[in-house]
Amino acid sequence: MAKREEYIDKEKKEKGKKLFGIFPAQYPREILWAMNVLPVEIWDPPLEVIHANAHLQPYICSVVRLGLELILQGKCEGLDGFLFPHTCDSIQNLSSIVSDYLGVKKPCYFFYHPKSPYQDSSRVYYLEQLKGLVARLEKQLGPLDSSQLKHRVQQGQEVARVLKQLYDLRVQGELEASNADFYRVVRRGEYLSPDDFLPLLEEFLAAAKGSAQGGPAVIMSGVLPNPKEILTLLDELGVRIAHDDLLNCSRRLLVPPSRADDPFEALTESYFAMPPCTTKDSSVSERVDDLLAKVEQSNAKGVIFYMVKFCEPELFDVPQLTGELRKRGVATLLIDCELNQNLSGQLATRVEAFFEMIS
Amino acid sequence: MYLIKNLQYHFMKDLGLPALMRFSQRTKKRRPKKLDTCFGPPLTSTGRLKEIMTRHYLLSRYAEGARPVAWVTSGAPVELLRAFEFYTFYPENHGALCGAQKVGSELCEVAEGKGYSQDLCSYARIDLGVCFSGRTPVGKLPKPDLLFASNNICQTVVYWYKVLAYHWKVPLILFDTPYNFKDIADSDISYMVGQLEEMIPVLEEVSGKEFNYQRFQDVIRLAKEASLTWGEVLATMKARPAPMTIFDAFGHLAPIVSLRGLPVALNYYRVLLNELNDRVKKGIGAITDERKRLMWDNIAIWYKVRDLSNRFAERGMNFVAATYTNAWAETISYLDINHPFESLAKAYSLVILNNNLNHRFELMERLVKEYGVDGLVIHSARSCKPYSVGQYDIKRLLMDRLGVPSVVIEADIADSRVFSEEQTRTRLEAFFEAMEA
Ligand code: SF4
Ligand code: SF4
Repeated sequence: MAKREEYIDKEKKEKGKKLFGIFPAQYPREILWAMNVLPVEIWDPPLEVIHANAHLQPYICSVVRLGLELILQGKCEGLDGFLFPHTCDSIQNLSSIVSDYLGVKKPCYFFYHPKSPYQDSSRVYYLEQLKGLVARLEKQLGPLDSSQLKHRVQQGQEVARVLKQLYDLRVQGELEASNADFYRVVRRGEYLSPDDFLPLLEEFLAAAKGSAQGGPAVIMSGVLPNPKEILTLLDELGVRIAHDDLLNCSRRLLVPPSRADDPFEALTESYFAMPPCTTKDSSVSERVDDLLAKVEQSNAKGVIFYMVKFCEPELFDVPQLTGELRKRGVATLLIDCELNQNLSGQLATRVEAFFEMIS
Repeated sequence: MYLIKNLQYHFMKDLGLPALMRFSQRTKKRRPKKLDTCFGPPLTSTGRLKEIMTRHYLLSRYAEGARPVAWVTSGAPVELLRAFEFYTFYPENHGALCGAQKVGSELCEVAEGKGYSQDLCSYARIDLGVCFSGRTPVGKLPKPDLLFASNNICQTVVYWYKVLAYHWKVPLILFDTPYNFKDIADSDISYMVGQLEEMIPVLEEVSGKEFNYQRFQDVIRLAKEASLTWGEVLATMKARPAPMTIFDAFGHLAPIVSLRGLPVALNYYRVLLNELNDRVKKGIGAITDERKRLMWDNIAIWYKVRDLSNRFAERGMNFVAATYTNAWAETISYLDINHPFESLAKAYSLVILNNNLNHRFELMERLVKEYGVDGLVIHSARSCKPYSVGQYDIKRLLMDRLGVPSVVIEADIADSRVFSEEQTRTRLEAFFEAMEA
């Protein structure tokens, strides 16, 4: 399959799609698909930071720093717009730097999702937010075709269903794929159209079915599996990531299907049924329960908290989560690093020591 | 039990503590204060402020069991809680106090010892440090029955209060205020009104009291008047020389944060306002030789307030405006006793930190003009991402558009370990030179 840049370029030129740069994390991608937009997510572009430091203090996470760097290096010229979901304080202010200060001559859209604990008012509001976003997009993209939306919502559910199958097989130790391969494929969904992502997932599912290697199972929690070296290191050690609690993977991809007929209702139902997440202010108890359930299902021996340095939403929950897991005899490892940096020798040694502990 | 505690609380509130404080005032040995020649005469209201805040913290020891106790974030619509007679405690204000008393870092270390990263907001780490160790300069904190947070100042408070909810095993109410990316829409207001209405049964249950609409309106009236008076207090600094410095205002802010909606806050600001107006009439300045007027951006560096205040005053530079102190005056005029829920939604969601950076820039531009500001000091606070991200751009824009020189101090609000004396000195020297050029 074509590389990310080539693919995106082709989608624009050959299929006439509009391209939107999407900042983390949760957003109604089905609406964009239905409006002939290819959402291209910006999580961890492989760049050297040169310009972003003039706008951001050193204590800001590298997701935000790299995202801004991508814009400042002129690599977003081909985009037709940006979308900023309201994920955390840093993304919130980044959205304003981009739209208010950088003189970026592209439409910037914002998406506020209600925070937990949810009440009736939250549901009404979410639905209105979806419709409000459509109304704003329509000014740039023309009217939304309701049958297209319905189709894309169904397609989104299909993607979630196949992903769930993949995750289930992994939990049961019935997926041969390495950690690195698994996340390479899952993360393709950050820029592929569902028309291409779905067949890719199905193909992968068919090819990768089979017994996983016999080493210990772990769960990975955090924002995203980057630096990627951790995946290879775990592969080398024979450790299988049997499930994850990653913001850019299971927390937003494993969406339970909705039976609602109305596509807006279905999207609303899905949002509120998503796994607990720091960026939605889910309670600590919900997160503890969710992690414990994952540990139990997959018979994992440990949980690796793979933190992006300076990520407040995640870092606040870690002490309670590790405390509860350890009380139940589950080993934990906390790693805090910048994106796209090689794992230091010291970190690798810690991972190896952790592996020995759980083996 | 409740009856005894309640009687004890009211006795201490109305008689015991005032008598105790009078006694301690009388017996306190008065050391003659060394008057610094850079400063004008100190404000006499400061004594009253100390009395009010000391009483507030002392009373908190008697609140547990006598009144429902809520821990509240500084930007939450406390007016609703006051209608149920909650005793309210403000961890952020307490964090500032710990910072000012230079015990912030050691309390942070307690939280860090329990696994809380040093990269988290220091108000939160201090508060968690207090929860885990029981140590606080105010003696003891009342255990909460309820936690009340609003994300109109940051998302951090919610992460922090979730930890508190888990630690204390008490309910957490969140007032979720959609961020003002461009404009607040009707649907945002309805969402917030809906949430406020949904809170009432929870508050009734926790407090054991029925919602009293009339009392709610009274509280809103008091809160609005106090905030407007606070706004007038700040506006006295438009005078030349300014009768007060922003460093004083950081201290005088405590009642509007912690006692908003109570008569004591309003009465206090009326007294302070009278004193300031009187000083303006007589031409008494906060510093004796006010040559330059500055604006402060972000929360105070609590452990350095006195030090910084001296450094600037020595050079005839006075801080006359701050985005931070302004926050409790800016949007409160929206409050309307006839539409309490809608008006609370507006007043609380339009505050500076829930607003896009363009709004912040415009506010700063206005303050520069109205207060005759010659220079800007930007505190880049490691703790506070919503206040700090975007400051470098604001600095550049203010220079480009208004020609206002500025300096960034990289520091923290309450954790002195990250303060670099050397770096600050070098930056300030360059700034002083630019100001004199
Ligand atoms: S890594 Fe954390 S702090 Fe950074 S953008 Fe993501 S959620 Fe926000
Ligand atoms: S200092 Fe900033 S991050 Fe910390 S509680 Fe206050 S507003 Fe939130």
